[in-house]
Amino acid sequence: MATRVETQHHAAVSTHAGTGLLSWLTTVDHKRIGILYGTTAFVFLLVGGLEALLIRLQLAQPDQRLVTAGFYNALFTMHGTTMIFLAVMPLNAMFFNYMIPLLIGARDVAFPRLNAFSYWVFLAGGLFLNASFLVGTPPDGGWFGYANLTTRPFSPGTGIDFWIFSLQVLGVSSMVAGVNFIVTILNMRAPGMTLMRMPLFVWMSLVVQFLVVLAFPIVTVGLIFLMFDRFFATHFFDVAAGADLHLWQHLFWAFGHPEVYILILPAFGIVSEVIPTFARKPLFGAPVMIYSGILIGFFGFGVWSHHMFAAGMGPVADAAFSIASMLIAIPTGVKIFNWLATMWNGTLRPTVAFHFAAGLVALFTIGGLSGIMHASPPVDLQQTDSYFVVAHLHYVLIGGSLFGILAGASYWWPKMTGRMLDERLGRVAFWIIFAGFNLTFFPQHYLGAIGMPRRIYTYSADTGWGFWNLVSTVGAFGIALGVLLFAVNAVRSLRSGAPATGDPWDGRTLEWRTSSPPPPHDFDEVPPVYGRDSFWREKHGDAQGRKPTPPPRVPEAHGIHLPGPSHWPIVIALGIGLVAVGALTSVALVLAGAAVMLVGAFAFALEHHANPAHAHQVGGLGIDHRKLAMWTFLGSECFFFGTLIATYMAYKGRSVVGPSPHEILNIPVTTLSTFDLLMSSLLMVLALAAAQRGDRRQSRLWLGGTALFGLIFLGFQAYEFTAFVHEGLTLQTNLFGSTFFVLTGFHGGHVTLGVIWLLTLLVLDLRGRLHVHDAIKVEVAGLYWHFVDIVWIVIFTLVYLAP
Amino acid sequence: MSRPPQHPSDSTTVREHSRAGEHATIGTYLIVAGILTAVTGLEFGVIYVRRLAPVLIPLLLTLSAGKFALVVMFFMHLRYDSRVLTFLFVAPLVLAVLLSVAVMTLTGEFLVFRR
Repeated sequence: MATRVETQHHAAVSTHAGTGLLSWLTTVDHKRIGILYGTTAFVFLLVGGLEALLIRLQLAQPDQRLVTAGFYNALFTMHGTTMIFLAVMPLNAMFFNYMIPLLIGARDVAFPRLNAFSYWVFLAGGLFLNASFLVGTPPDGGWFGYANLTTRPFSPGTGIDFWIFSLQVLGVSSMVAGVNFIVTILNMRAPGMTLMRMPLFVWMSLVVQFLVVLAFPIVTVGLIFLMFDRFFATHFFDVAAGADLHLWQHLFWAFGHPEVYILILPAFGIVSEVIPTFARKPLFGAPVMIYSGILIGFFGFGVWSHHMFAAGMGPVADAAFSIASMLIAIPTGVKIFNWLATMWNGTLRPTVAFHFAAGLVALFTIGGLSGIMHASPPVDLQQTDSYFVVAHLHYVLIGGSLFGILAGASYWWPKMTGRMLDERLGRVAFWIIFAGFNLTFFPQHYLGAIGMPRRIYTYSADTGWGFWNLVSTVGAFGIALGVLLFAVNAVRSLRSGAPATGDPWDGRTLEWRTSSPPPPHDFDEVPPVYGRDSFWREKHGDAQGRKPTPPPRVPEAHGIHLPGPSHWPIVIALGIGLVAVGALTSVALVLAGAAVMLVGAFAFALEHHANPAHAHQVGGLGIDHRKLAMWTFLGSECFFFGTLIATYMAYKGRSVVGPSPHEILNIPVTTLSTFDLLMSSLLMVLALAAAQRGDRRQSRLWLGGTALFGLIFLGFQAYEFTAFVHEGLTLQTNLFGSTFFVLTGFHGGHVTLGVIWLLTLLVLDLRGRLHVHDAIKVEVAGLYWHFVDIVWIVIFTLVYLAP
Repeated sequence: MSRPPQHPSDSTTVREHSRAGEHATIGTYLIVAGILTAVTGLEFGVIYVRRLAPVLIPLLLTLSAGKFALVVMFFMHLRYDSRVLTFLFVAPLVLAVLLSVAVMTLTGEFLVFRR
């Protein structure tokens, strides 16, 4: 229930804070969602860590028989998948959620309920993946899931199905969160917070969100292909039918390498906040640090095939990806040197957070240097699938990502909890983790160099690998002890830690300008922004000590309104979870889950529609949040359909049996359906124009017309599909059938969603609930509709017309 | 000493507002729809002209790109809207096209270079 409280400056605040379990289940407060992400991810970190310890125990001695070979495969698969998708990504999400609004001077994210939805879907995906242990069939195909090893003939159990569906569910969570944070950062910055004044953590988070929304669709399509091969006997990864197994590797790594930056860039952002604070100096070359982060993100899309040098791509591709991979070292090196330059001559305060940040600089440099070695194809061929690569990736992902996360956790803990951590215990934990980490992974460089392959569950004594494996195992338990001490410190702090002031570190950025922990509304008044490191300038002035003149206080005209709690995010997430469980058990459960999802989605949308506070969502850019979100989503959809179309084109003419496209495609009929869809776009803009001028009769007419034309298009598609089936072309017939039906089927699915959306708007209009100020809703639906139209323009040309 | 601007959030916003003032008219929409219809008819026609066979693919791609651009610029209002929106769509679009061409080339042994 909403209450109004008076802040210290007497701004009226409408808030919904509660303390019971229900308040957490229905919360849309970015800070609480951040805490939920952090707590859940820490539990998954422990689960992934336990799996790692079992792996290390198995390898501690030669000829060990602690686990079977099959279970060992499951352990390294689950360890990799858990650490990447359920630990490091959501730990970063904790900081995105809790800190980004505070760092940019906002009161919440752009879409608080979608934020809650992202968390609950993430939880559903994580629980679903780990449920595979409970039913005794954990996935065992590696976190990379190489097809065709993961197709039904080679992996007949349900383990890979758990992996596919959980990654799809987790992908939904990441995508929604990515769009949400892009809109939040671009559109909700406090006045004066220009892009170049944003803290580095916010910048790196922005780059990461773009990587998420652009890279995830690629692997989503790959997973769809794999799912269709396993469930519907299609041929995407069937060599006998003409398929190319490089396809999976390309789709996976075109996502997988940006994923590395999704994991590491937030850590770079955290360190870029921690080091200046504890060096009491501005970040050296901040603009260049920003450009470097953007370049790393951009290059991240052009280097994926360095994971495939051993796959036989040929010299031209090898050379191109080698050069791109080496280039990416330049902006990364810039960051390392700038962190060092920030520390140089600074008044260093060796806090625990600073220890972890400095640890990252040292350890990531080692991981980065071994990464440059892999960028050279001849060297990479020697190192591929050896323990050298295991050492490299852990120096990047633990020495980089996890050390960054621990730096951030130590740095922002007082802000999030209102309590200080014990610095002495924290330093002990740091040194144990640091020593344990190097003891574990440095010897693995040597083990790889003397020939120990990855993913073997045991080895014989005469290999000479026993001693360094034992050392590595001892080190792994050191890491575990250090993490345990970190957790003990956290629990002790929550129980009896010293109270934290709002600004315990003499911080530089806006989050330190409010209390610890912040109130539900974050700031009593929107904070003024005087430049980069605004709060520092406010406290200490510029280089000459001149302090800025505070702007006059302007009370917010209608008080501060925070979004109310909602149970629909968790309901929709439950529906998604049921669909995933049903996919492995019964169709009835799939239908039940879909029904829950559908009802939840409608209720979610109508809850939004019924709230007048949501009518106006124009942000700092002068653009409505929803419109900004839709364009961001459409950018992501370019990757989704681009991947589907690229696959169709790559497999064109490779079917080993007929029918072929020119024997079966009915171009005259499809030209008519194309004309129909193009004209639906005309009706859509007429509907929008009518809605904007408040002409409800016309808006109803054109909305209904657009939906009708959409239905006619679907009718054409149903006719075409039926005719093809009669002529002997199905999903299973050949590569053409598989690629054609999946591509056009997903397009048809998009059209169907669009028709449902339009009909919903039409019903609202008919009931007198679509007013002039709701025209933005028609505009956003229209953008989606037009996008579906332009995708068809491309499909019509490449699939139907091109010979 | 500098004071924070009151509003809007930065100078970009001012430029964005001025660009957002323009709008397409119903007449413009009808003209665009007419061109889309004509080009679709042209696309259908050219595939049956044998003499165009050597240039058919580039011709079809050009016509398709033209239709794509018309819908995006006028029906989706990108011509009149904020440049931020143009960036949010066009940058991923270009990147997706490059990536798709790369995947087609690397798995399909055609287009830019052979394996």
